[in-house]
Amino acid sequence: MRSDVLVIGGGITGMMAALHLSEVGARVRIVDAGENSGTWANAGSLHVQMQSRFMRLYPDQVPAVEASLPLYKAAAEEWVRLDGLYGPFELMRKGGLMLAESAEQLAFLEAKARREEARGLTVDLLDRGALNRVAPWLGPQIVGAELCHDEGKLNPLIANARLMAELARRDVPVLRDRIVDIEASGTHARAIGRHATYEADQILVASAWGAGEMVRGLGVAIPTKAEPLHMNITEAAAVSIGHLIQHAERSITLKQLGQGQIVIGGGWPARDRGRDCPPEVLASSLLGNVALAARLVPQIGGLRVIRTWAGMNTTADGASTIGRLPDAPRVVMALPGDAGYTLGPLVARMAAAVVSGGSAEADLSRFAPARFAA
Amino acid sequence: MSGQPALTTGHFTFDGQSIPLRDWQSLAAALTEAGLRSFRQTAKGATRGIFCGMGVCQDCLVTIDGVPNRRACMTPASAGQVVQTQVAFPELVTAAVPPPAAPARVITPDVLIVGGGAGGLSAAIAARKAGASVVILDERKVGGGQYFKQSAATSPLDPQQAAGAALLAEAEASGAERLGQVEIWGAFDGLLFLAEHKGAALVARPRVAIIATGAYERPDLRPGWTLPGVMTTGAAQTLWRSYRTLPGRRVAIVGSGPLNLQVGRELAEGGAEVVLIAERGPAPWLRPLASAALALAGPGLVWTGLRTMLALRKRGVPIHYATSLDRIDKDGEALRVTVNGPGGATSVVADAVLMNAGFEPQNEILRLLGARSAYDPAFGHLRVERDESCATSVPGLYAVGDCAGLGGAPAALAEGRIAGRAAAAALGLGDAHDVFADQRSLAKARRFQRQLWKLHDVKPRLPKVPDDTLICRCEEITAGQIRSGLDERPGHAGTLKRATRVGMGRCQGRYCGPVAARLVAAETGTPIDDRSYFAPRVPIKPVAISAILAAEEALKDAL
Ligand SMILES: Cc1cc2nc3c(=O)[nH]c(=O)nc-3n(C[C@H](O)[C@H](O)[C@H](O)COP(=O)(O)OP(=O)(O)OC[C@H]3O[C@@H](n4cnc5c(N)ncnc54)[C@H](O)[C@@H]3O)c2cc1C
Ligand SMILES: Cc1cc2nc3c(=O)[nH]c(=O)nc-3n(C[C@H](O)[C@H](O)[C@H](O)COP(=O)(O)OP(=O)(O)OC[C@H]3O[C@@H](n4cnc5c(N)ncnc54)[C@H](O)[C@@H]3O)c2cc1C
Ligand code: FES
Repeated sequence: MRSDVLVIGGGITGMMAALHLSEVGARVRIVDAGENSGTWANAGSLHVQMQSRFMRLYPDQVPAVEASLPLYKAAAEEWVRLDGLYGPFELMRKGGLMLAESAEQLAFLEAKARREEARGLTVDLLDRGALNRVAPWLGPQIVGAELCHDEGKLNPLIANARLMAELARRDVPVLRDRIVDIEASGTHARAIGRHATYEADQILVASAWGAGEMVRGLGVAIPTKAEPLHMNITEAAAVSIGHLIQHAERSITLKQLGQGQIVIGGGWPARDRGRDCPPEVLASSLLGNVALAARLVPQIGGLRVIRTWAGMNTTADGASTIGRLPDAPRVVMALPGDAGYTLGPLVARMAAAVVSGGSAEADLSRFAPARFAA
Repeated sequence: MSGQPALTTGHFTFDGQSIPLRDWQSLAAALTEAGLRSFRQTAKGATRGIFCGMGVCQDCLVTIDGVPNRRACMTPASAGQVVQTQVAFPELVTAAVPPPAAPARVITPDVLIVGGGAGGLSAAIAARKAGASVVILDERKVGGGQYFKQSAATSPLDPQQAAGAALLAEAEASGAERLGQVEIWGAFDGLLFLAEHKGAALVARPRVAIIATGAYERPDLRPGWTLPGVMTTGAAQTLWRSYRTLPGRRVAIVGSGPLNLQVGRELAEGGAEVVLIAERGPAPWLRPLASAALALAGPGLVWTGLRTMLALRKRGVPIHYATSLDRIDKDGEALRVTVNGPGGATSVVADAVLMNAGFEPQNEILRLLGARSAYDPAFGHLRVERDESCATSVPGLYAVGDCAGLGGAPAALAEGRIAGRAAAAALGLGDAHDVFADQRSLAKARRFQRQLWKLHDVKPRLPKVPDDTLICRCEEITAGQIRSGLDERPGHAGTLKRATRVGMGRCQGRYCGPVAARLVAAETGTPIDDRSYFAPRVPIKPVAISAILAAEEALKDAL
């Protein structure tokens, strides 16, 4: 089995990388284990501003995220471009509100907003009066918010289905297999799967939580980690929440889809049950996550939750990993990092450019896998 | 006929129109009695009404006193209620938010029983007798489950209801606590159950649990099956047996199985004109061996069945064997039902069309907790694996009655006795009992069931329907959309769900899920097993956010 490029991982990053490569005439195949893809479980928030949850959980990674802010902004714009090409994905870019319930939280947001502005984001600080004009349905305890105009939301199921259809239209094969090893020393690269071995001139690794282990033998120790996360969705209501809602201190994202359902998430944990089985929903996350949402937006109290689910997010060191492995240049990494659905298409475009040898639009040195050299 | 229905006791309004109600009637019953069939509008502009009659389909939603999306079939009617047609997208900003619910109640019985039908009640009595503390939770206000469901306002209608009343009285006398209108929506490892009780939260942390949630009905999935006025046979049975309300003046019944015949008789005796019963299976006199085997397996029950047939004949109810539903169309205010039989196609006009083409176990709690099950091709549904004491593969979790796979009321009663005693014994309670008598009656009941269903035809079919026929009621996904979804990514029912939205609605895929599993299995040539179905998810039924808030208050320090 030979192809010009083998893409490992068929989530948003792998799909988009394959699309770009087929566009420039490469023969490309995707091989995907079909297990626990974050892309099929995610909430479709287009994140740009720094997530307070992330800042709290991984304080050591904050500098990396801050340096990536322009990337997030460009990534949201990349989604707008894709929406025009392959959409509509129910994409809406009314901005994201990060809520404060106290003066301290508002002060935290103020400082954060200044840092973000310096990195090119369009942000405003809203007091309660200003907030009442855009989001009168917020709970009475909310004192103000940061509004990041670059943020948005889309319906990931629609986007994924449309991109899958585009791949099928271009006859890009998607093979079901789990890759256990990569050999890249000879004149071509080989991915050893459970069912077959796949040869290619180059391999693009977009396998998220599965990536670190896959390239361990190739001179890098990329600390990809599977992080099981919880989501909830309500029945539909007339669309009246345009913004993506987050909180200055607590883990929450809340938004309304174009079809009216309210999606509640924000990184509450689920229980890992292994790679071949979706994570298990925890009562504590369901109750805590929904209760918090209902306190912030009391008007959803009259709706019912119709479903919860859990999926696998991937964390590493806070920044994206894009580029060739120093010891195995036939292998190119494409790992978006935090808020990976937002970043996926842009990271895929950058990695595909590396594969096809075109000049990179951005300086990729910050993202180079070399930082993980073992 | 014993027990006259009570007279009108008040009025509520529906879209401004004054509707009379009788005490204890459900809203759905009062609306049906007033001749109203359309309760809600869908996102695509269709109208829907009562379908399952048991809280599963979520198609009977109405707005009650400003609170959207309440099930009319599970909500008691009361004087002064302001009820409105449920619009597809209620206004969020103006919607009435239920007031902060009462504090959650936390219960910690030795034995928790989920479902108060034949199986649950008999399990409760047995466990209580052995000395365990027992709480039975049931979603319905009227006790007894499906077979023994009681009349809400009058004395028992017939021996079946009288036997149910006696069983309920025995459970009560045993000291088991029975809570009605409790909807279990979540089950978690370590036996934590979360429920909604009249808008407040109920949390149960038992030592062992016996699941007895029964079955729901498999519809005859043909064009027109979502029209208002089309409902399951059991929905009509509940309207009549519990609320003394006829589903319509002229009634047609389609599908297969003894329930259709029994309900046909009950409604005919109650004053409805049963214009047609279409049974898929061949006439019993063409299957003399199977009929004789049935008579041997259960002479008493066969006698009941014969009496039903005689009563139907006496009232001139036409029964067409080897006849199946083709389609249902609107015909003015009524419905035109077309069936295909040996003599070709026939049409009748009816006000209500009832359908039952078999049963699906309500095994959501069992599957959520990880109980293993296997596919039973004869009934076309999963059967939960159990040992001889009705224990599942999950420690501390028992399953009795139809939720573990269809078995009928006598089997549910015997299984309840076995599991109730075994559950108590597992906690070190009760004496060692002679279980042989129960095992014997269980074996007999199971033998009868096997023979009974041979006379009917409930093998589920792949839907050979036109492309525009709905498969997923909630999300309004058609057969055509599912077929093209299958062409793209057949892999698994879950993939089909994400590709087409089939099963993503309020009912959680209760009706389309088994169809999706069968379609994917046929497409991929793989046998069906418990992983072929949609993965079980909490909440197993939609749950009010206000109830989640209350549960969180009660548990936030404990979890
Ligand atoms: C519940 C949840 C909500 C989220 N919400 C958001 C959000 O709102 N906004 C946002 O921006 N991000 C969100 N994320 C994060 C986002 O979903 C992921 O970061 C993103 O989808 C990653 O895309 P990917 O293509 O890089 O990887 P994935 O979509 O995870 O795909 C990786 C693929 O690689 C395959 N794979 C792994 N190992 C192997 C192997 N050895 N061989 C073959 N294949 C392999 C997997 O099977 C999988 O299909 C959320 C994540 C979760 C879990
Ligand atoms: C609609 C219908 C009508 C039937 N009518 C007949 C009949 O007339 N004659 C006959 O021989 N057989 C009938 N059957 C078959 C009948 O189900 C069994 O013979 C017998 O009732 C099985 O007893 P069970 O205890 O297993 O379940 P059931 O009697 O069905 O009891 C289950 C109980 O569990 C409750 N429950 C389910 N889920 C939840 C939840 N999540 N939270 C709280 N409570 C819950 C239900 O409200 C119900 O009361 C009928 C079945 C159905 C589905
Ligand atoms: S009729 Fe009320 S839920 Fe089905």
